[in-house]
Amino acid sequence: MRVHALIVMVSLLLTVFPVQAADPPAKPAEMTSTSTGAEFWREVRQPEGEVTGVSQVKSPGANVLVNVSGLSWREYRLETLIPSAGAAIFIMLFVIAVFRLLRGRIMLAEGRSGFRVLRFTTSQRAAHWTTAILFVLLGLTGLTLLLGRGLLIPIFGAEGFGNIAGATRFLHNYLGPVFMLSLTWLFVLFVRDNMPSPSIDLQWLLKGGGLFGKHVPSERYNAGEKLWFWVASVVGLAVVISGLVLDFPIFGQTRATMEFYHWVHGVSAITLIVVSFGHIYMGTAALDATFEVMQSGYCDTNWAKEHHDLWYEEVKDSAEPVPEDQAASGTGEQRKESTDTA
Amino acid sequence: MARMKFYCDAERCIECNACVTACKNEHDIPWGVNRRRVVTIKDGEQGERSLSVACMHCSDAPCAAVCPVDCFYTTSDGIVLHDKDICIGCGYCFYACPFGAPQFPESAAFSSRGKMDKCTFCAGGPEDDSSSEEYKKYGRNRISEGKLPLCAEMCSTKALLAGDGDVLSSIYRKRVINRGASAFDWGVNFNNSKIQG
Repeated sequence: MRVHALIVMVSLLLTVFPVQAADPPAKPAEMTSTSTGAEFWREVRQPEGEVTGVSQVKSPGANVLVNVSGLSWREYRLETLIPSAGAAIFIMLFVIAVFRLLRGRIMLAEGRSGFRVLRFTTSQRAAHWTTAILFVLLGLTGLTLLLGRGLLIPIFGAEGFGNIAGATRFLHNYLGPVFMLSLTWLFVLFVRDNMPSPSIDLQWLLKGGGLFGKHVPSERYNAGEKLWFWVASVVGLAVVISGLVLDFPIFGQTRATMEFYHWVHGVSAITLIVVSFGHIYMGTAALDATFEVMQSGYCDTNWAKEHHDLWYEEVKDSAEPVPEDQAASGTGEQRKESTDTA
Repeated sequence: MARMKFYCDAERCIECNACVTACKNEHDIPWGVNRRRVVTIKDGEQGERSLSVACMHCSDAPCAAVCPVDCFYTTSDGIVLHDKDICIGCGYCFYACPFGAPQFPESAAFSSRGKMDKCTFCAGGPEDDSSSEEYKKYGRNRISEGKLPLCAEMCSTKALLAGDGDVLSSIYRKRVINRGASAFDWGVNFNNSKIQG
């Protein structure tokens, strides 16, 4: 509990600057009116910044008569965040569907070699799947809270959705800090090979990653994978910090602070979700012999040659024959694929 | 139907906080939750004014607009109520509310928010009128007994008014006339009473 509180305090300290940027002007506006008529009420409504008074109630914001930031936050949530989140997700799914129709499943040009090399260690796979499972759970629960009123209440009814959303909020709030830990773990394990190497990465990006042409040289991770790594890390940090501020409303955060971090959290989480669709599609259905790499840790040498040739040159000496039992399933999958296409 | 409203007369409120206390007592509200509060502006200076604030039962209620689970409803009297069986305690209504009305007991682990509590205009909630379940969740239902909110009923200076909007405005209009409103000052301040002669 104490450690928990410490982490929250540290992350709050780290974010002092944006808090100041988000808060209303430090100098409170002066009440000049002595009447109790229209002039008085106009000043209470605070046209020029927050007017604060005193109150025997000491909760955050209790001494503020009218919360001026509420209306703009309401408009942002209802008219900007929810529609654009829905649109971003829809557009990304559409782009993936079009890509699928254009390219289909991209098979290995030379088929499987029957030899494999180690690509991910056990701890790397554990970190990846812990983060991935948490990410999917947090994403689903977050989207439920964001879009559920429009999409799920017609299906489950208000009371039913209330129960779902209650469990959803519970999961989201408690898994969030765990996601922070697993994302940190993932970052530490993967950062070394994701450092940019400008000449190779720029060429890769300029040629569109070889998606619509012939192969472009790549190290252990290509520029696309590196971009996803850094988007996940940097935007992930924003999601985590803003999430902690929202998760623990017990440090006297004002409404303006909470609204600001809600904005950060929404924009960064939607960014991550949309980009993750691309990552998930590329890692599963798009490329043949790819999903098994993060499953088993090993990749076929032909896969390595085709997708990460510079890395393959470094590790090709450690190639070993695929064990009998796994080879059978591998070729079986291949056979199934070939009948599908035939 | 009546359109229920609160109005606080800033010329009369003496910041005694009796409305706050009466409300807490009537509805058996836990520590840290205040359905009503009194805010004093320019405390100790010339032009000091106090206002008693709670849920203002808006016609286009921002809390209801932003609620992710749609737990708010408006009664035929124009009173904005919410269903605690649906509420998930997310806090969005508190961010959107102009008056800081929604309150959250720190009930869950890590002091996270419990289900939202706010002024019900002494009208309870969706449960059966004056049932013990309704009392436990929302407090007394005075409206169903034909009574107005207790905060206004026991206000010693009758600064806080509660009831049908039309009746309240006619009461307040009479007060303004008696105090001597002036065309030179759109207010009703005693400082300007000399203008009237």
